[in-house]
Amino acid sequence: MDQVSSLPALRVNPFRDRICRVFSHNNVLSFEDVLGMASVFSEQACPSLKIEYAFRIYDFNENGLIDEEDLQRISRRLLNGNDVSEDLLTDLTSHVLNESDLDNDNVLSFSEFEHAMAKSPDFMNSFRIHSWGC
Amino acid sequence: MKYLSEWDQWKRYSSKSWERFIEKAREMTTHLELWREDIRSIEGKFGTGIQSYFSFLRFLVLLNLVIFLIIFMLVLLPVLLTRYKITNSSFVLIPSKGADIQCTVYPISSSGLIYFYSYIIDLLSGTGFLEDTCLFYGHYTMDGVKFQNFIYDLPLAYVLSTVAYLALSLLWIVKRSVEGFKSNLIRSEEHFQSYCNKIFAGWDFCITNRGMADLRHSSLRYELRADLEEERIRQKIAERTSEETIRIYSLRLFLNCIVLAVLAACFYAIYRATIFSQEHMKKEIDKMVFGENLLILYLPSIVITLANFITPIIFAKIIHYEDYSPGFEIRLTILRCVFMRLATICVLVFTLGSEITSCDNYSCELCGYNQKLYPCWETQVGQEMYKLMIFDLIIILAVTLFVDFPRKFLVTYCSSWKLFRCWGQQEFAIPDNVLGIVYGQTICWIGAFFSPLLPAVATLKFIIIFYVKEISLLYTCRPSPRQFRASNSNFFFLLVLLIGLCLAIIPLTISMTRIPSSKACGPFTNFNTTWEVVPKMVSTFPSSLQSLVHGITSEAFAVPFFMIICLVMFYFIALAGAHQRVVVQLREQLSLESRDKRYLIQKLTEAQRDMRNRLD
Repeated sequence: MDQVSSLPALRVNPFRDRICRVFSHNNVLSFEDVLGMASVFSEQACPSLKIEYAFRIYDFNENGLIDEEDLQRISRRLLNGNDVSEDLLTDLTSHVLNESDLDNDNVLSFSEFEHAMAKSPDFMNSFRIHSWGC
Repeated sequence: MKYLSEWDQWKRYSSKSWERFIEKAREMTTHLELWREDIRSIEGKFGTGIQSYFSFLRFLVLLNLVIFLIIFMLVLLPVLLTRYKITNSSFVLIPSKGADIQCTVYPISSSGLIYFYSYIIDLLSGTGFLEDTCLFYGHYTMDGVKFQNFIYDLPLAYVLSTVAYLALSLLWIVKRSVEGFKSNLIRSEEHFQSYCNKIFAGWDFCITNRGMADLRHSSLRYELRADLEEERIRQKIAERTSEETIRIYSLRLFLNCIVLAVLAACFYAIYRATIFSQEHMKKEIDKMVFGENLLILYLPSIVITLANFITPIIFAKIIHYEDYSPGFEIRLTILRCVFMRLATICVLVFTLGSEITSCDNYSCELCGYNQKLYPCWETQVGQEMYKLMIFDLIIILAVTLFVDFPRKFLVTYCSSWKLFRCWGQQEFAIPDNVLGIVYGQTICWIGAFFSPLLPAVATLKFIIIFYVKEISLLYTCRPSPRQFRASNSNFFFLLVLLIGLCLAIIPLTISMTRIPSSKACGPFTNFNTTWEVVPKMVSTFPSSLQSLVHGITSEAFAVPFFMIICLVMFYFIALAGAHQRVVVQLREQLSLESRDKRYLIQKLTEAQRDMRNRLD
């Protein structure tokens, strides 16, 4: 898995460990797994496929839902600073849940995530990888 | 197992091979895309905001090329074929009847032995040897081209080419902006840059460079902090007391009056500069010194460029005191600068128009326009547009050469001086650059009627600008921490371009329908105004078609049509409002459902506990 993490396409990605984990079987990435990964991230992949895999990547504790703890970890990875205050993280988490948590249960289920990503204008542009090699 | 019949098999095979063919064709056309590699590498190094600027520039290059092809096919081709004797055709020259012989006098300056510098002046200002070439309107002084089997109506083709390129530009821009507008309409303003979008789609998975990744982290940090800050300011605004509100509104009124005063001052300066330049252009070239001549010729362009430099700075200072939220501040400043830039061209054209139709003694009643000073006024307007375009290109090249590169040089090698370190390398300012190229495109749209080759000049100019800006970006700019989002920018660029197109149509319609066409040059010597060609053509139609056309253009049709369109628009607005209310209701229903579910699960666990207790 470290070999795949050090590919040029994934080297600087803050979610590279989650990507490798989602696409691997038994902690090992076979050729078919890497092929599957490349096809999900390609430009021609359909949105529903991308949204499904994005959900699994962002679900850090793998309980099938994106809860506040996952959101805090995502925000921390994105901001990547040592001076990120707790208030900022809680603020961000509450705003995200305000916008996309439709049934007010403080977690994002897959259908809520899917709905939010369908409305997002930048998702399809961001969630793709052009070239994998050097 | 079901076997397919022969027909079904063949159908499936043919549809599969058709799909494969379409895929291959699509792949090949993406390879033909202009500057694909350049734009991809810019996207990788500087982000999607700057990449959308260069895609926009490429779109304008293609648009100008297509406009030039339309004008070439309709106007230039028959003229060139006849002039260079490629086909066996001749010009049709109908002598004008009814107009005074004095109106047809057109003194063309003799091209004898001229100094070399007047050659350069002619090249830069379109006078002298360039005036009579096919670059300008005055060259097309013919009423038709007689081919073997038919007569090609050149005046009609000229008007139709103008209408065609305006309509094509409008349709193409609207088509490109429909995608951006759809996504803009679905969500309300607050949610457009929503937190979900930033957190889940904030990281661009294409980034492979460590420096770019650090930049992305810092820009995300900046954006999220700015959004939370904006939220805080919005809450503060909502909690304002009434006397504070009154104070703020009166301050805003006062500052808007200052903005209007600044605009009026700039417009007046351009008006006076144009009049001064037009009056002194009539002097002989030999009597003037080289530099003075060029200065007078370019005076309107210089004043416009100075105004466009100074006013954004003034607007940026003023808006601080108006106490808006940061996002609205940026949008309002950009809107004011857009209006300023595009309105200056309109002021220039209207000044020229007033000069052309104003005369102090008798000469206006004779021909309808100031025949003494402007024997061929369309050519002279075309020359002004040509000068604006050339000057714009010179300024962009000069700024890149004499400001960007020395700044980078000084900051890199003299960084021991605190002044240079504070100044820093420059960032690529997207709104200013976009306004620059929209300004150039508006000049091209206005000028293409008066100077048919102007779109070709504009295409070359934009190609040069692409390479100059790319080199300047790669070698002198540092990436900015404030990233423009691509989804937002595409719509913004096309909106500004659409404003430019609307502002370009106004002077064109006025000059085509109100000002009498020159009797001394051009294809419209036998008509009162340029637009008269169309009614004359309609009168040659069969009578049923004629009455149809007259019916469609009469008031009896136009007013009910307008009212029906208004009703349809109100219906759609009401429908959108109703859908919005339904969405709010459905959201409330969803949260109620989940509460019901939790209540029922609670009841169920209680009931199960009771039953277990009873069993024990």
